Amino acid sequence: MKLTRRMTLAAFAGVLALGTAMPAYAADLIAIITPSHDNPFFKAEAVGAEAKAKELGYDTLVMVHDDDANKQSELIDTAIGRGAKAIILDNAGADATVAAVQKAKDAGVPSFMIDREINATGVAVAQIVSNNYQGAQLGAQEFVTLMGEKGNYVELVGKESDTNAGIRSKGYHDVIDDYPDLKKVAQQSANWSQTEAYSKMESILQANPDIKGVISGNDTMAMGAYAALAAAGRKDVIVVGFDGSNDVRDSITSGGIKATVLQPAYAQAQMAVEQASEFIKNKKSPEKEKQLMDCVLINADNAPKLETFALKN
Amino acid sequence: MPNKLTRLILGLLLAVVAGPGLSACKILPTPSAQGGDSANSSAFSPDKKVEEIWATKVIPYLQQKAGPFAEVHALAQTDPAGAGAKYGNPKKQANSSWTFAVRVEGKIVAANTQSRAATVDVDVDGDGKADARVQIGPAMRGTALRDSLDFVQFNDFTNQIDFAQFGKAFNAHADKTVLSKLPRDTLEGRAAKVLGAYTIESGQDLPLVTPAEAEIGPKP
Repeated sequence: MKLTRRMTLAAFAGVLALGTAMPAYAADLIAIITPSHDNPFFKAEAVGAEAKAKELGYDTLVMVHDDDANKQSELIDTAIGRGAKAIILDNAGADATVAAVQKAKDAGVPSFMIDREINATGVAVAQIVSNNYQGAQLGAQEFVTLMGEKGNYVELVGKESDTNAGIRSKGYHDVIDDYPDLKKVAQQSANWSQTEAYSKMESILQANPDIKGVISGNDTMAMGAYAALAAAGRKDVIVVGFDGSNDVRDSITSGGIKATVLQPAYAQAQMAVEQASEFIKNKKSPEKEKQLMDCVLINADNAPKLETFALKN
Repeated sequence: MPNKLTRLILGLLLAVVAGPGLSACKILPTPSAQGGDSANSSAFSPDKKVEEIWATKVIPYLQQKAGPFAEVHALAQTDPAGAGAKYGNPKKQANSSWTFAVRVEGKIVAANTQSRAATVDVDVDGDGKADARVQIGPAMRGTALRDSLDFVQFNDFTNQIDFAQFGKAFNAHADKTVLSKLPRDTLEGRAAKVLGAYTIESGQDLPLVTPAEAEIGPKP
């Protein structure tokens, strides 16, 4: 019997070493799954979550799903297979994700959503999301003021499969459409991409040289649009973004892009890990599953205080 | 015997670790149960809902909860959470600002009716200086009316969009039934009496009050 146990242990250790390269001590594992880190916003989420998890004594497994729901489903399988005690997830689709999170739940692995909601409650333990609609309204109000409540403008929309692309666009129009002298001459998706925004902006500008402003669904597209406008000698065009990236902060402080809206990505990811830890250690769920975090308008007044998706005091 | 047992355990462990590959064959429940949620989202009619509760719940709540502006604002400066519990929704979202139900009574000392987001600045303490800025529409900022109500919770909504549109519906209702009937010319010097709500925000020149009821007196 003794021999059996020793051999079992050895086999167990062997399998773990082969499969997962876990350290010798067995700290609980938290899986952190986000879209690609090419976008600094998602990187800030992953970095924030990882830092908090390590601080609280967890091992981490950081993975990216590239906004592909199938890949996300596989990553969730990986997290379950690796014995993760919780999953921190910035998901790849409000509808498509529900089944994947349910699968984790059925396997006894609780999920904590950040940044984007899913279209179901009672499946994830927590959904901590930025109030994108409130943020979009803030950005749009600033845009309306900068535009003097009139003129032609362009809207760049994010990736269609991403809930937040739709929410922000709705939030923008919620405000802008109250001003009949603001005329939208073009609305195109640049899929959150800087290069795509650059080329889309080039062609939009050729067709509509009389534009006065561009409102963009995120900062990377705002950066692409502003680069195209600058290359065409149209630095006069008002550009407003969304996310609060360091790139846009630098553009604002040097008089380029006019404003953006900060999502507290770093703080949000840390809050999710704290709640996950509370759940793992004390079986305690947060009081409310859905938790909204307000966004903050960033313009020339407060841009210098912005650093890696957080405002310094 | 030990060998067999070990092999069995090893096999089981491998199965667990190889889980990702195997589960591709697992039959997963379809998310059809959630179909109802998305369907509800499009069926949700924020304007209708606000209309239903406006006279029966919203106005009575504001009347009962609101304090005089000077009092509310003084407490908001020193003890925002205390002011929130007394004059607003203590169950608000985690990092959102406090919102308070408030009565603003005083003299209009300035007006901006050039903007579609028109406002009047009101002096409540008679020192000739503006204390609060009241929105008179048609375009209005923020969701102060919604956020002051302790019976409206984000978790009762399918998603942010429904919650936000519900917020806007309060402003639209106030504009339609009250603000659009207010005078727009020579407002300075007139008396103003408002029941509404405002949210503490950083970088504001003046607290921005969204009215649910408003009266503007005759020209002086």
